[in-house]
Amino acid sequence: MKNGFGVFYAVVIALGLSWAGFVVAPAVQLGTAKRTTVLVTGDNWPLQRTGAATLGEQVYRANGCVACHTMQIRQDGVACEVTLAKPGKTPEVVSNLLATLKLSGLTKEEADATIEKISTAGGKAETHVIPTGADITRGWGVRKSVAADYLYDAPLQLGTLRVGPDLANLGGRMADANWHLVHLYAPGVVKGSAMPSYKFLFEVRKVGSAPSSDALNLPKEFAPADGYEVVPKPEAKQLVAYLLSRHADVPLYEAPFTPATKP
Amino acid sequence: MSEENQSCSLPSNAEPTATRSTVPMWIIVVTLVLVFIGFVFFDRHSGWFDAKVYAPYGSVEKVEAYQPGTGPNPMIVGKKNYEMFCASCHGSDGAGKVGQAPPLAGSELVITKGFHRLAMIPLEGLTGPIKVKGQEWNLIMAPMGAALPDADLAAVLTYIRNSWGNKAGEITADDIKTIRAEIGAHPVPIVGDKLMAMPE
Ligand code: HEC
Repeated sequence: MKNGFGVFYAVVIALGLSWAGFVVAPAVQLGTAKRTTVLVTGDNWPLQRTGAATLGEQVYRANGCVACHTMQIRQDGVACEVTLAKPGKTPEVVSNLLATLKLSGLTKEEADATIEKISTAGGKAETHVIPTGADITRGWGVRKSVAADYLYDAPLQLGTLRVGPDLANLGGRMADANWHLVHLYAPGVVKGSAMPSYKFLFEVRKVGSAPSSDALNLPKEFAPADGYEVVPKPEAKQLVAYLLSRHADVPLYEAPFTPATKP
Repeated sequence: MSEENQSCSLPSNAEPTATRSTVPMWIIVVTLVLVFIGFVFFDRHSGWFDAKVYAPYGSVEKVEAYQPGTGPNPMIVGKKNYEMFCASCHGSDGAGKVGQAPPLAGSELVITKGFHRLAMIPLEGLTGPIKVKGQEWNLIMAPMGAALPDADLAAVLTYIRNSWGNKAGEITADDIKTIRAEIGAHPVPIVGDKLMAMPE
């Protein structure tokens, strides 16, 4: 072959550059990432998982949940909304002005200009930063998922397919552990759900001297025969603890938004 | 090989060779234009690979612009300064310490309508006897907040007024400036009774 060395060096350089760009650079940038701080409250983020939730992460992995669920919320844009905080000494002037202004769907510059106008009229207004996007409209999250949210994940189970809904903020939007246990045992409680039942994470057993306090409160069509009860095995409880530990609902520097209620 | 073939200038199994020729000008121009467009796009949307810049923001300036609230958050700045200057006596949980400092959580000296009385305490200092949540305290607090900038002290007071279950209005840097002007250059710890006689 002619120019054999040239081809060899070209291959080394091409592969070396992509290795440097896709492997080394991200490892340098995020490999030593530490906890960050939540905006407004100053709390630490993310929270350390409980022992049960850490075990549940492996249950999630073992059962292949990642095949049908993602854990990454996408955000397409961001908009500002201006609300009146204090009408000031001349409330009529301010409310007349408000009626003529566009108050939502603004860029930051537009919002700043609007606030300026309102304060010239004597009122005091606030800007609310609101992330937008299809995932957020669906109610799956309030802002996009960022690297900090996954700091304690091992392995990272981002998922690629959405047969079911996104779970990145499950703990933030459906916090009822009992509902999750019922749903894992009988996904049919959600009409038209394509999710298979994870019955093997539960035990169907004869009621002893008294019903177990752990027994699921199942709807009629899923309930076991009379005299039997369904109790979650430890794996089911761990899995639910893990699901409820998934949060992406606090404002971070890299994913800012105005929380619903100020402290 | 026969003799006829030898006379031919190129043997049939020879490696084909190409002569060098210059790259056409238009390819160079198009490539440069594409590189230019690429760089402009990169500059506008990449955030220069900053780990804190995600779509849809595109640059650190834009992320900065969309931070909620204007300026630093008093609850964060306040907490930081409180831990540094006040928590050693009043405790991180605001519960105070027996024989050292009264509680701030639920204190009627903290949850006030106005800012006047409360701002006096860290700026001028306080000496007893005072009553906090029905209990007598007779100690001395030095003007612990006098050395802090107006905005930082305002943040500390806003923080103690809105933590540990407390709920009261924000205190601004302007409020602190007003009280500082009132006190003048030499703060002397104010006596409890005199403080309580002041307007809230
Ligand atoms: C050296 C310990 C010490 C530090 C540091 C300290 N304080 Fe105090 N503080 C006291 C004592 C002692 C009293 C009670 C004085 C008295 O008995 O009259 C007090 C009283 C108060 C009170 C009124 C009583 C109450 O509980 O509501 C407030 C408000 C207060 N301090 C705020 C602050 C703030 C704000 C800071 C930080 C800038 C601070 N203190 C730092 C010791 C301290």
